[in-house]
Amino acid sequence: MFTRRAILGTGLAGLAAGRVLGASAPGAGVTDTEFMLGMSAAFSGPSRGLGIELYRGATAYFEHVNAQGGVGGRRIALKTYDDGYQPDPSVKNTMTLMLEDEVFLLFGYVGTPTVTRVLPMLKKFQDRGMYLFFPFTGAQPQRQPPYGDFAFNLRASYAQETAGLVDNFVRVGRRRIAVFYQADAYGRSGWAGVRAALGRHGERIAGEASYRRGTQFTASMRPQVEILKAARPDAVVCIGAYAACAGFARDAVDLGLRVPIANLSFVGSENLLKLLVEERENSRDYTELLVNSQVVPSYEDTSIPAVREYRDLMDRYDPAPPPELVQEPYTPFPHSFVSLEGFLDAKLMVEVLSRLEDPPTRTGLEQAVFSVRDFDLGIGERVSFGAERRQGLQQVYYTIVDEGRFVTLDDWQKRFAA
Amino acid sequence: MKVKKLFQKTLFGVFSLFGVIGLATSVLCVYTVDTHLSEEYVSNSQDIAKTIADASVDILLNRDLSTLQSLIDQFVEIQGIKYIYVTNEAGEYLAHTFVPGIPEEILAGDPSNTETVERTLPGMGDFVEVGSPILAGVAGAVHVGMDTDLIALKIQRAIGRQVYLISIVFVVGVFAAIWLVNLAARPIGDVLAYAVALAQDAAAEDSGGGGPEAADSRHGKVLERDDEAGELARLFLHCAGNGGAGAVPPAAGT
Repeated sequence: MFTRRAILGTGLAGLAAGRVLGASAPGAGVTDTEFMLGMSAAFSGPSRGLGIELYRGATAYFEHVNAQGGVGGRRIALKTYDDGYQPDPSVKNTMTLMLEDEVFLLFGYVGTPTVTRVLPMLKKFQDRGMYLFFPFTGAQPQRQPPYGDFAFNLRASYAQETAGLVDNFVRVGRRRIAVFYQADAYGRSGWAGVRAALGRHGERIAGEASYRRGTQFTASMRPQVEILKAARPDAVVCIGAYAACAGFARDAVDLGLRVPIANLSFVGSENLLKLLVEERENSRDYTELLVNSQVVPSYEDTSIPAVREYRDLMDRYDPAPPPELVQEPYTPFPHSFVSLEGFLDAKLMVEVLSRLEDPPTRTGLEQAVFSVRDFDLGIGERVSFGAERRQGLQQVYYTIVDEGRFVTLDDWQKRFAA
Repeated sequence: MKVKKLFQKTLFGVFSLFGVIGLATSVLCVYTVDTHLSEEYVSNSQDIAKTIADASVDILLNRDLSTLQSLIDQFVEIQGIKYIYVTNEAGEYLAHTFVPGIPEEILAGDPSNTETVERTLPGMGDFVEVGSPILAGVAGAVHVGMDTDLIALKIQRAIGRQVYLISIVFVVGVFAAIWLVNLAARPIGDVLAYAVALAQDAAAEDSGGGGPEAADSRHGKVLERDDEAGELARLFLHCAGNGGAGAVPPAAGT
């Protein structure tokens, strides 16, 4: 004779089992021969270099793994869509990836305004157990409640990048710091990071100017430069994408704003540099005061094992961007910070997939990530995850332009002392 | 279409009256549409500002400013909303949608003031700005700027449609009035023609020609009318002696 409580308990257990089974049902992005990952990124528009380079770096490693037989006999496939770095297309792409393509997980999304709009969808469809892995953004929404549980980050945050830049500027006597930023969630995230860091030094943002997302390099940034020039800053921190930030650096130099100009890792350093030096005789004037923070080490430093591996695989596979997504001309860089980040994202992704029990299910993903402890990605800094630690790397690197390429900045005092 | 001189003043009066009615209707329409739409826009803006203010409490207390920026970026996509800014209790601008920077006119204002104000921002246009306090003002305020040019454009469109309709009615009315006036004037013309014919016949009779019968044969139908024109024609005939010595002049009003 079943009691009412026993029947209720059995029913609830059945419901719970149903949810688990529903989330791990065959066909949910994994088969006996394949893991299907979904990616929405900028493959068109002024920021297409970011999506393309991130894709190339990740694909180089995935192709290498597939050539070795895949993960547990399953090759890794990357289903990609272009969102042009715009929120609405990224939401539609995510719907398609989750509901139609039924990918195993989401990987390598690009941008804060896009990711911040996608996160609520992951919560809405949380019964599917979908996670976003290693988005190319250092913003806070995917690092804290209520959406932090649906994403795993590898890179350091914008708060860490901006804090590092501000701390170093203040240390060398540059306390009046202005901000040039993209008028959206990404720009605001960096702006908030600078504000908080300055607040710790008893300072406030000296001046601020913004630009619209999608602004081209050819657009004039003179109004923004004039606004910041009037604030008499000791340094400017830019929170933007390469086209607009290069335009700002160009107009700042042209209008006589000769102060260090810092950019965050998201900017896409090589594309920024390319725009500033291309067809310019006095390119050094435009680049000598640049300082870019990075969340991965320099790809020029071949003493780092992961960098050697990255360069070897990039040279060997030289992945092309998805031809159906790239409609505008783009010449990829043999090596770049963004593609190195994509490469490291893919390397950690493979490690997580290899830790899944067989048959792999989405419900096992979180546990697989949490089992990553002191993992050596090959860059020196070890990676750990846990329930309270959903970001793998913490280190920020600083680079300057020397002889037409970005190199590690060793001495802030010597380079930027006020 | 020629209008009888007798009715030209009447027609002018009708047109004038019609014009006054049309003008008064248009003015009333402009006022009504302007007031109604303006109130509606301000009301909608206040609702939006309050929605953002309510949502901002949780964001400001528990989350980060990029989420707040993402929120206002979605609202600024609504037609008519040109800018949004959020300030904290200290008057610091925490999130906004201005490019390339916050206008001086706004920086010079009091961010804690949430009353509706009209603003002219150089290079941007004219705006109605509404505000809503966050957490009763202790956590700051949200301000929403509505583009008055867009409101004016909507009003112009509404008025344009109204004026278009009135113009069509006016043109149709003019032609209808002319036609009706001419219809009313036709018996008088007949009477006039009959009187002229009578006079011509009387002159001919004096010179040994035909008598009033000749006029009767050409304009006799007017004598058969049972209205004022018929009576007038019969009166003319009587006066012309055609009714004979025993003929009784037509009674007035019959």
